[in-house]
Amino acid sequence: MIALTVSAAVATALLTLYADLDSKLHREFRSFGANIVVTAADSGKGLAADALEQVRASAGPDAQAAEFGYAVATTDRGTPVVVSGTDFSAVQKLNSWWKVDAWPSSVDPNSALLGQRAAEFVADERTVQLTFADRPIVLHGVGRLHTGGDEDSRIYMPMAVFRTWTGAPPSLIEVQIPGGSAQVDAAIARLRQTVPGVKVAPVRQLVEGESRIVDKTHALMYGAVLLIALTVAVSVLATLSASVLERRRDFALMKALGGSQSTLMAMFLLETLALALGGVAAGFVIGSAAAWAISQLNFHTATLPHLGVVPLVLLLNVLIAAFAAFFPVRVLRRLEPAALLKGE
Amino acid sequence: MKVVKQSLAMENPTDLETRPDCAVIALNRVTREYTGHAGTVCALDHASFSIVAGEWVAITGPSGSGKSTLVNLIGCLDRPTDGELHIDGVDVATMSATELDRFRADKIGFIFQQFHLIPYLSALENVMLAQYFHSMTDEKEARSALERVGLGQRAEHLPSELSGGEQQRVCIARALINNPPILLADEPTGNLDAANQKIVAELLQDLHAHGHTIVMVTHDPEMAALAQRKIALSHGKVFCHPVGGPMISLRK
Repeated sequence: MIALTVSAAVATALLTLYADLDSKLHREFRSFGANIVVTAADSGKGLAADALEQVRASAGPDAQAAEFGYAVATTDRGTPVVVSGTDFSAVQKLNSWWKVDAWPSSVDPNSALLGQRAAEFVADERTVQLTFADRPIVLHGVGRLHTGGDEDSRIYMPMAVFRTWTGAPPSLIEVQIPGGSAQVDAAIARLRQTVPGVKVAPVRQLVEGESRIVDKTHALMYGAVLLIALTVAVSVLATLSASVLERRRDFALMKALGGSQSTLMAMFLLETLALALGGVAAGFVIGSAAAWAISQLNFHTATLPHLGVVPLVLLLNVLIAAFAAFFPVRVLRRLEPAALLKGE
Repeated sequence: MKVVKQSLAMENPTDLETRPDCAVIALNRVTREYTGHAGTVCALDHASFSIVAGEWVAITGPSGSGKSTLVNLIGCLDRPTDGELHIDGVDVATMSATELDRFRADKIGFIFQQFHLIPYLSALENVMLAQYFHSMTDEKEARSALERVGLGQRAEHLPSELSGGEQQRVCIARALINNPPILLADEPTGNLDAANQKIVAELLQDLHAHGHTIVMVTHDPEMAALAQRKIALSHGKVFCHPVGGPMISLRK
């Protein structure tokens, strides 16, 4: 009973997690940022003014998108630095993986976010003095950004201020499409079709990496269920065999009292089936609780019990019980009441 | 299955002799051989005798003489290699395993030396188990069977809560519950102390007095003396078989 409960619990937990796995993994991958990059077809020109709107309309309501404009300015220390104009609220949603100690507020139009390394190029982080084409600007640095990438060497400012100051249009839109590689490919095709004058490219490593990880996780879960089912089957086989061997005198007595082979088999198989069903009932409760805990711990969202997994778990447990009953049934078939009741 | 055709040959002790009207067990040159790695062993060699209805017969003999084989054959737990074995007028040697199971439930009540009660069932449930395999359970009837053996107050007790003598009485109640024509007792007092031996012996005497046919295997001369006659076995051969007569008590 314990072994069958364990098998049902593990199967329930894994299948419950499996049912939510795709959405949860995709959600996790979304926290890695954009999976599509949109740039101007003509690298000399920037993106059209309405490019972001068109991209958002084409990508769908669940997609996140943020535009970026780039220019090279000089700090008050005379160090060249890449400045980037963007929409902080959009970036915050898009690149939730960025480590930022304080995001600039929309109240202050001149607020800026300084990359970890870029902060070292300025004399005063709070009052950032920059010059672009002899046009100075003073920004209020409100926070530091740390990504470990190129972003650490940039200074981010609101797009409106950037455009007024540099006169440069946005040159890149980062887009994050929810779903797997199929959804990303579909979105790319849609964007290419509906937004003219742009180059649309996937962030290949992320999309392919995501697909690989999702596939590997699926395979891992299948493998785990199979391995556990096999282990449990062997354990149940040993338990049932021991139970039949222990009670073979009882079965011999039943046979002596007139119990036919088929009646004894039916009794034993019914008992095994009852154990399997009991295991499924208890295992479903335990497995659902385990899935909830695992999901909460790893994905920070609850996974509710899925009644849809019950038929699969039931099938698995009945198969395990049937496999495990094979040897004990052979023992029962070869039972010789005369010898057993005589104590031989 | 066929109805036994019995002949009378008192002069030859190896031949079957009985009366068709009252023989309940009849063996005609029954042989049982076992084949193993060491070759073939003849456990019962052309045994012929009959037991009439209502008779109490003691089967005696040293270990290895074929007593167990004989009891297994009469109890329909085994089938002869050769010969005819008729129980209650039916040749069981030709029956299929399923037919034997059914036949055993109807005709034989077993009383075992080691009681063989199911340890996790109460005395009452142990008796009802025999009903279950025979037809259908009847708790009232099972209780009466326990009352008949003096255990009405112990019906709900588990075997582990009963003494050896009480367990044997539960075993007797179980043997009686389906009212079989034959009671097969294998060393019924072999595991009991003197006091309980007496109780069980009295119960068997009472059952015999009520017309039950009892076939009892025993090593105990006192128990054997209670039977109407003895069938002695040696090396698989029946060497002494006073012919079953009418219902005449041989007891003093």
